[in-house]
Amino acid sequence: MRNFIIRRLLYAIPTLIGISIITFVIVRLSPGDPIRFFVFGQRDITGEDIERLRHAYGLDKPIPLQYVDWLIAMVQLNFGQSFIYHQDAFQLLLGRVPATLQLAVVALALQLLVGVPLGVIAALKRGTWSDGMIRVFGVAGHAVPAFWLGLVLIIVFAVQLRWLPSQGMLTVGKDVWDLPDRLRHILLPAFVLSLTGIANYSRILRTETLDVLSQDFVRTAHAKGLHERTVVFVHALRNALIPVVTALGGILAGLVGGALVVEQVFSWPGVGQFTFQAAIAKDYPIVQAATMFVSALLVASYLLRDIAYAIVDPRIKAG
Amino acid sequence: MTAKQRTGKVLIAVFAASILVATACTSGGPTASGAPSATAAASATDKPQQGGRIIEGTISDIATMQPVLVNDTSSGRITTLLYDTILIQDPKTGEPVSRMATFSISPDSLTYTFEIKANVNWSDGKPVIAQDWLTGLMATGKSAKTVRKSNFQDIQGFNDFKDAKATTITGVTIDAANPKKWTVKMAKVSCPAIIQLIGYTLPTQVFGKYVTATSKPEDIDTAVENTAPTVTSGPFTFKEWRKGDQIILAKNATYWQGSPNVDEYVYKVVANQTAITNGLKTGELTFGSIQAKDLADVQTVDSVKITKYQNLGYTFIGWNTASPSAVGLADKRVRQALAYGIDMDAVIKAVVFGEATKQVAHHVPVQWAYPTVALEPYKYDKAKAQQLLKDAGWVAGSDGILAKDGKKFSLTIATNSGNQERETLAQVAADQYKQLGIQATARPEAFQGLVTKLTTGDQTLEATIIGWSLGGDPDPYSIWHSSQIPNPATKVEGFGFTFFKDAAMDKAIEQGRNPTDGNCSTAARKANYETFNKILNENQPYNFGYSNNVLAVSQKSLQNFAPAPFQTVYNVQEWWIKK
Repeated sequence: MRNFIIRRLLYAIPTLIGISIITFVIVRLSPGDPIRFFVFGQRDITGEDIERLRHAYGLDKPIPLQYVDWLIAMVQLNFGQSFIYHQDAFQLLLGRVPATLQLAVVALALQLLVGVPLGVIAALKRGTWSDGMIRVFGVAGHAVPAFWLGLVLIIVFAVQLRWLPSQGMLTVGKDVWDLPDRLRHILLPAFVLSLTGIANYSRILRTETLDVLSQDFVRTAHAKGLHERTVVFVHALRNALIPVVTALGGILAGLVGGALVVEQVFSWPGVGQFTFQAAIAKDYPIVQAATMFVSALLVASYLLRDIAYAIVDPRIKAG
Repeated sequence: MTAKQRTGKVLIAVFAASILVATACTSGGPTASGAPSATAAASATDKPQQGGRIIEGTISDIATMQPVLVNDTSSGRITTLLYDTILIQDPKTGEPVSRMATFSISPDSLTYTFEIKANVNWSDGKPVIAQDWLTGLMATGKSAKTVRKSNFQDIQGFNDFKDAKATTITGVTIDAANPKKWTVKMAKVSCPAIIQLIGYTLPTQVFGKYVTATSKPEDIDTAVENTAPTVTSGPFTFKEWRKGDQIILAKNATYWQGSPNVDEYVYKVVANQTAITNGLKTGELTFGSIQAKDLADVQTVDSVKITKYQNLGYTFIGWNTASPSAVGLADKRVRQALAYGIDMDAVIKAVVFGEATKQVAHHVPVQWAYPTVALEPYKYDKAKAQQLLKDAGWVAGSDGILAKDGKKFSLTIATNSGNQERETLAQVAADQYKQLGIQATARPEAFQGLVTKLTTGDQTLEATIIGWSLGGDPDPYSIWHSSQIPNPATKVEGFGFTFFKDAAMDKAIEQGRNPTDGNCSTAARKANYETFNKILNENQPYNFGYSNNVLAVSQKSLQNFAPAPFQTVYNVQEWWIKK
């Protein structure tokens, strides 16, 4: 197993370097110059000022040299100084990670706590109206755009009903450890972020549960006179959950990526909102730090998934 | 149907009904906890109540709390609340008036004398002195990342200090007998200097160590106090910055103009304008600005007050008068036709719901430099526009498209994508110009790319819709002087992307900025700017578009809130919240 993990870690290095090159080139070749954008409209700005700023931000070198400088620094977790904030880009990014992780973890919990039971109910009630409703919900969950749903929920539950806050992660003036207040703030964004996952898991669970329920060992369990609940939850569900557990490998990175839209709609001060604003302002160091962070998260989560596969099926490890 | 199935159906019906009822409700629903009541408006005689919190909504987090490095509106707001300035612009006229210091200008406009008022202290109790202003100036000279160096280039000795050829700035002299008094000598007359010399007054006891003879640029650029100020001179002190979420300031009880009535000022960052509107409606925000499209909706909310005033800027269509593809734009008559041929009043109604004023010259009416002489209003007159085009030799062909010397009149109007207002304006303008027989199309493109094209003189741009913000001194040099016309061949960059130049206009700009007789009086400068605006008005290198209204929305419980074109928080210490 150790060799397997080392091998997979070594594979990850060229993947991350490849991502870094692609990101670096795309960001720099996209239309516009960050310094000109930075000073646009400033009175009396001179060509000398522009050159000084370009030098201060290391943008006066050829792109390949800029990349080499950046790569060497990046290995030491130095992603450079943000053009906008004049602070360490990676530290700024790390400051946003807890907010995004908080949202992602709650969304993940909702996906499992709602999606799994819905899938099981749909399978057990196959052909009934509740099965139909859950399947319709499954399709809708995939089809409804997150930004639209988010705006509708804000209008209904924040602006009209005033039950929940419309934005942010904490009421101004509240203590950061005020958990009920935090819960009120996270409810809507976490629900929107989790919706696709809920739909996904309910669909997978329905299919898997139906499949498992038709297998011989379940019939045997019934024949042994076991209680229906024991058959479903102890025998059938354990087996049906295997694809869900393996699918969890990439889900956290997916949630972090998906949070970009949700954070924008709900003014959630996480990595997604931060990266979006940095991209608009052409703040290269932050955009690159964020891309590498999410990529590393993705690579790490796929590595965990592969390890999980290897544990479940030793043939993968051998291959 | 089983009992369970019936229960499920009832629950679904109740949920659906609640959603329907909720969405059908008007915005006059129950007020959120802590939100003000609709009857909270106070009379002028009410005694200010102490306590409470002001929450301003913004769509951008701050970048820094170091005034020298500020290059965005949000950071500017917070540094204004933390660090007071020696002078401010009058909230309504923009003219410089005394704040922390009194000032005088020598008759030749080359020497400026300032004296900090006796009762002005830092939050740590130390007096604010001349050296603190000099520390701000030296920090600007030292910094590698400031965009403000050129503001001070006319101070004697500043350029040598900036280029590390000197360790002091010779033009600044602190009175040996009075540490609160100093003079600034200029290398040449520069009328905008009085606004620029407001500079940055920084606590020397904090930032002095970053501007010593051996300090490096990164010392001031990365100082820890840039993100967590420890000593301030403004009405508030720094408490906490939750990045991307909010900045919390606490009242400065020793503020020289009197302790603020409220305990805290919170700058709340939200994702977009819709979130600001929602926050104002729910009472989560105390004040903020909304877009014109949301005005009708917000007007239905009883708990808020709307204050309108003119924005210090305008949105325009800039014509590339040297365009090799849209050659017609070189002709003044064509540009005038493009002014007569668009119904700007109708456009204002369509694009910004009537919340703007038509512009026909560079300065906006709230600036003192706005001309009092009559300017051609370019009232919509399609027949006159067609006649002018005909006079310029543009005649409609069999397909109805104007052509001259075998070349059809095509026109692409670019604007920055994502800006809904400008995209709509481009589309409406293109539609109206089509009615004149011009093959006009709108083309949205990324703002960053557009900025590079404009400032480098990219000749693929024929017409561009963007906007100018005109805060500060009304000097139009950087936009309209011929030296600011970009030249791709010589790599000269600038904001003169219309390529329009006029010797008389150059002279008027120069005399308004650096008068040979040293006369920087408002009257003398205004006369020059009238000449300048008349030339622009006649030649129409821009269709000057319109100047939006700022729509400031505040909770009715907020008292003494009186934003004006040049200042919003100038009297924040007097604001109070009626409970």
